[in-house]
Amino acid sequence: MALAETASPDGPIGPSTARLRPAALRQLSDTQAAWLLLTPLLLFFGVSVIYPVIETIRLSFFEIRGLAPPKFDGFGNYIRLFSDANFLNSMKVTLVWALTATFFSVLIGWGLAMLCSLNPQKTLVFRVMIFAAYGVSEAVSGFMWLGIYRPDYGLLNGILEAIGLTNLTQPWLGNPSTALGSVIVAYVWTQVGLPLMTCFASIQSIPKNLFEAAYIDGAKSGSVMRHIIAPLSMPGVRVAIFINLLNSLKAFDLIFMLTGGGPVRSTETVGFFMYRESMLNFKLGYGAASTVILLIAVLVVSIPLILKRTGDAK
Amino acid sequence: MLRMDTTKRTTLLGSAAVLLGLACSAGSALALDGELVMINWLGGAQGEMMEKLQEDFEAKNPGVEIRNVIPQASGDARGGIRAVLMGGEQADLLINTWPAFRAELIEAGMILPLDASYESNGWGEKLGESWQALSTVGEENYGVTYTFGDRSGIWYRTDTMAKAEIDPPATYEEFLSGFGALNAAGVTPISVPAKVWAHAEWFESLLLRTAGADYMTRLASGEASWTDPEVRTALSKWQEMLQSGCCDDGNTMLALDWDISVDAALKTGDAAYVLMGMWLNTRAKQEYGETPGEDFNIVQFPAFDMGHDRESMVDAKELNMLSAVENREAAEAFMGYMLTADAAGIMAEYGLASPSTEVDPSIYDPVIQKSVNEVTSADKLQFVLGDLLPGDLGGEYRIALQRFLQDPSDETIDAVTQQLALVAQGAY
Repeated sequence: MALAETASPDGPIGPSTARLRPAALRQLSDTQAAWLLLTPLLLFFGVSVIYPVIETIRLSFFEIRGLAPPKFDGFGNYIRLFSDANFLNSMKVTLVWALTATFFSVLIGWGLAMLCSLNPQKTLVFRVMIFAAYGVSEAVSGFMWLGIYRPDYGLLNGILEAIGLTNLTQPWLGNPSTALGSVIVAYVWTQVGLPLMTCFASIQSIPKNLFEAAYIDGAKSGSVMRHIIAPLSMPGVRVAIFINLLNSLKAFDLIFMLTGGGPVRSTETVGFFMYRESMLNFKLGYGAASTVILLIAVLVVSIPLILKRTGDAK
Repeated sequence: MLRMDTTKRTTLLGSAAVLLGLACSAGSALALDGELVMINWLGGAQGEMMEKLQEDFEAKNPGVEIRNVIPQASGDARGGIRAVLMGGEQADLLINTWPAFRAELIEAGMILPLDASYESNGWGEKLGESWQALSTVGEENYGVTYTFGDRSGIWYRTDTMAKAEIDPPATYEEFLSGFGALNAAGVTPISVPAKVWAHAEWFESLLLRTAGADYMTRLASGEASWTDPEVRTALSKWQEMLQSGCCDDGNTMLALDWDISVDAALKTGDAAYVLMGMWLNTRAKQEYGETPGEDFNIVQFPAFDMGHDRESMVDAKELNMLSAVENREAAEAFMGYMLTADAAGIMAEYGLASPSTEVDPSIYDPVIQKSVNEVTSADKLQFVLGDLLPGDLGGEYRIALQRFLQDPSDETIDAVTQQLALVAQGAY
């Protein structure tokens, strides 16, 4: 009541918190105080995100080769990019990579979340273990998966040989037809923890009386999962799709560790193409142009989803 | 009296000025001081070696403190070095191993010619003409080469040869005929790590033996074409080796990184030969605990009898002086130190060779001695081709050779050479 009485007329978020502020801030309205508090963050965001993005866009209009002085080239880099078979290949690889990796990581995470929700107490350790993989650096994961896939003493080929499937053994990362799939499997392993947690949290928010009613009506676990848990956990699934898709578009470390974009560019995503052009071939402007294309792709994916998820927030 | 005083004063002032000048010049010659900043990207055993060299230099020059600027890079360090240089970092010296990068630095005006320093420090007496030629661009010398590697040396385990009952090959015919014996003994004759870059070594050695160093120099500079018969011949020889059972299947080669191949050849004996730089000596000694000359050895790339058998491929590391140098005296002193017997002794501990004439070859283990003899007695030296090619051509070159290994057919040779010629057109 006391708070409501002191509410500022331009307070956007309900009761004013003016009496809780330090003395110097009490003279400010909620809006002014909000701007004041946000300013350091906005400055940091501007320096660490906005400025590099603007600089990257600017660089993309220059032809830069190594340490030679930049030459303004207009849209030359963009025109060359879209006639560069290697870039077009990297777009195709990125599409396959992002969609497949997102589909499987979310599907597996969602499935595990539904199974875990049947007995949350007993599956705590399991959930923590799966989520831990999400926290492991991709470089570390890459090193581990190199050991699994290596052609001579690799774990995977060893297991296949041990169970009599010797004809299936192969150089997983050296064969262009299996390399991308192998890297996706490794990537899904690192990413499945996030969908597991978001979907599990979503399932936990389903009202308990729905389950009670279902069980009273004689529903089995499978029916409960299909008709209650699956549809009502969709908010968590959507968040997981969104985050995993964005992560997969930006993925680099694991590809760098496992295949270096090869063999013969078969695992070269746009992110890796950007690295190759900028840091190995030393064409900074060309690399920047591919970065801008990737940025646009990320924005095309993320903006509609952000608007949909937050546009009607009160 | 006044006149006497003036004369005295003039004499005294003149004497003082001369003494001060002498003191200053003696001081700069004898006591170096200040900070020496070095762009140092070396890692692993070579990084440790550089640390030891720097410590030894600092011990000999107590007034100098070396600070390393370490570029953030994985794999090819040039990207990180460029970022450091373009970011405006002040440094005196740069460690460089890529002639193509040296050319880029010269074009950007970032390194200084060292001819005057060679003259005043007598470095020319410590470095043979062929080593000076390696760091010379046009008429000016831009580097001091402090270590080199014999890249024409094929590495093998002695017990693998015994197991297959063969001798290390001296000729191409012996090389090919040995593949059968090695395969029969359950050993892959050659481990080719084609995941990133090391597969190119075999092509380059074949090109050196069949076309020679002069042709490779012209190819690297864009004066010769990738569609020339010389390139086709080298690829045809490789095709012949592959058809003779030299290697794993193409996909396995593409899955191998250099360390797996080296382990296979020098540690487990699953493969017989590997072709790579001198750092394998360090790896075999320090990581596998093997004895050079007894457990493992090298043999020069076999003779092809095509007129180029006495030519050797080398890699080298040099020091460049940056245009932004602030402590030139200390920078020159460090460059000079790297050509001393003391520095060579430290390098020898790490299995590397110095090109300095001040070095007694007996300090080296038998494997380095052998490679030093091969290189110093070679008619011509050729730098590793991949490091001579401009950026995008260098990248495409290695990928094109991967494509060849996947399908070593005549059609692929056509496609690969045409693709490289196309990329080369826009690369110079």
